[in-house]
Amino acid sequence: MLEKTLVDSIKTIDSLTQAQQLALGKFIDKGFPTSKWEEWKYASLKHLNERNWQWSPETLSVNIPKPAWKHSVIIQTLNGNTHSEGALPQGIALLSVSEFMAQNPTFESVWKVRNPILDQNSLYDLNEALASDYAVLWVKKGVKIAEPLLHHYVVSGQQDTAVQSKIFIYLEEDSEITWFEQQRSESSHAILSNYVQEIWVSKNAHLTLIKDQDLQQSITHVDHTFIFQQESSLVDAFTFSINAAYLRNNLHFYIDGPQVVSNLNGLYVPGEDQLMDTHSVVDHRMPHSESNELYKGVLMGNATGVFNGKIFVRPDAQKTNAFQSCKNVLASDRATMNTKPQLEIWADDVKCSHGTTTGQLSDEALFYMRSRGISKATAQTLLLLAFVQQVIDKLEHAEIRAELSDKIVNKIQASLGLTLL
Amino acid sequence: MLSVKNLHARIGEKEILKGINLEVHAGEVHAIMGPNGSGKSTLASVLAGRSDYEVSEGSVEFFGKDLLDLSPEARAAEGLFLAFQYPVEIPGVSTTNFMKSAINEIRTYRGQDPMDAVQFLKMFKEKMAYVNIDQSLLSRALNEGFSGGEKKRNEIFQMAVLEPKLAILDETDSGLDIDALRIVAEGVNKLKTPQNATILVTHYQRLLDYIIPDFVHVLYKGKIVKSGNKDLALELEERGYDWIISALD
Repeated sequence: MLEKTLVDSIKTIDSLTQAQQLALGKFIDKGFPTSKWEEWKYASLKHLNERNWQWSPETLSVNIPKPAWKHSVIIQTLNGNTHSEGALPQGIALLSVSEFMAQNPTFESVWKVRNPILDQNSLYDLNEALASDYAVLWVKKGVKIAEPLLHHYVVSGQQDTAVQSKIFIYLEEDSEITWFEQQRSESSHAILSNYVQEIWVSKNAHLTLIKDQDLQQSITHVDHTFIFQQESSLVDAFTFSINAAYLRNNLHFYIDGPQVVSNLNGLYVPGEDQLMDTHSVVDHRMPHSESNELYKGVLMGNATGVFNGKIFVRPDAQKTNAFQSCKNVLASDRATMNTKPQLEIWADDVKCSHGTTTGQLSDEALFYMRSRGISKATAQTLLLLAFVQQVIDKLEHAEIRAELSDKIVNKIQASLGLTLL
Repeated sequence: MLSVKNLHARIGEKEILKGINLEVHAGEVHAIMGPNGSGKSTLASVLAGRSDYEVSEGSVEFFGKDLLDLSPEARAAEGLFLAFQYPVEIPGVSTTNFMKSAINEIRTYRGQDPMDAVQFLKMFKEKMAYVNIDQSLLSRALNEGFSGGEKKRNEIFQMAVLEPKLAILDETDSGLDIDALRIVAEGVNKLKTPQNATILVTHYQRLLDYIIPDFVHVLYKGKIVKSGNKDLALELEERGYDWIISALD
């Protein structure tokens, strides 16, 4: 149940549709997730009840420098409002969901009967209630864009503000894009950044999704990304969780066709007073598909990390290959990591494996390196950088890879007070 | 250069070294032999600074400095090198990058400028020829998936690069076939100068066919119980350790 004062303030929002009111009612009944909720055991948001939230975020304009590397277009979602900076490439449209559905009645009927989201939570309800006519990025049939589409996701507020953002990406058959999302904030006030991203990947389409999450210490960021994959589609997803007081990623893959490949790569490097929580779901509903999860974490200071990886292999999903790996290094005595792989397999002809490890850097390796004249600090740095590089190296785009690599290396070195000669 | 006096070391409650005395001078090759569990590898580890061991008594001087007071990296920078019995896998770090870090940290310790990439590469190529090691091995993650022979050869390569004043080879012959053993021994012999010294820790005499020691010491129950020249090793090969042990017990 939501705090009384917050219920009063949120109820002053008017002109909500019936559906929105319904969603708002659900949110009010459930309130913010607490540690009593199984899926939020280590990542309670109870403290959000103590803030006097502004539910209608201010209009925002930002000036983010453009990258030096080639990109096709910049799309901005600023406090929930999405627009493109400059012209969109041929074959790509950005429009509101109502316009989009009006132009795609066949898809709308498919969309309406899609399987429901698993682990639906109150923040999703809140987003549904307040992020009304959100934007759709529509990539038309056969359109392949080589240069990345750059997405600036920014939240801000002059007071404690709850920001609801939502975007829907629709990839038609045989299309291909790289979506590079830079999640940022510009506020010293508490911001609840509640973001829903839904993605439909049609037959033979290929999406590379890269999230660079680098938000300020006053930010609570909850990212719900739901990906629906159709026959023979390929998604390479990357989540780089670099900064924020609280970062929660709910990343779901719904495999709705055969011959689908879903690759989930994640790297989280929380430092002092930071919590980073990944809850992934890979739901294999159709046969002959493949999912590969590679998650790594370096936990520093008094950081808390959470990884919960669910894999479902439904009775029809024969010949599924599903792999999951989550490896963590505790780079501080005060850091904690909670891992829980969760596999539920109903089909009998499948290959599934999972493994999680959490430990410190190997004393043997450190001694070996030191015995060659390498200082302890440098040895630690070399080992940690090699550890994270495995995920970063999977990025194909050289400039994005270099940019993220620098940023992550700097974060780790700054958090641990290490430098390389 | 190395002066070990009455060295006692323990791991937990268990005393393993019980009063070692050893003097090593420039240009010498010492072999430390002994049955399993006699403390040979412990001695090598204590000299290199492994923190699992606690020194409870005695002293070790290295060129007049208190070796036991130095961190493992400072010992390396002072010119000590340990070739590991079981070289450790370092995932994601190539030998090249590893050695570049090592060289430049050691140079910084000694107050020298870091080596630039060109100098480093030139030096690296020379040393590769020394131990007959392949470039492809050096760009792979250090020791990861290396065969036993490759690991040991890589140890000797690192030794060639670092040019230690005192090299301690801990059971370098273990797990090597005769060809690999010959290559490793040739590398060690080439690196020998009148200014440096070598301590070979070994169970078998085999290695000493290729690297001729000036002194042979027998370690038993944490003490050096017999010292001699290379003939002692041959005698041990022939008669085993029992005749020495039974004379003591």
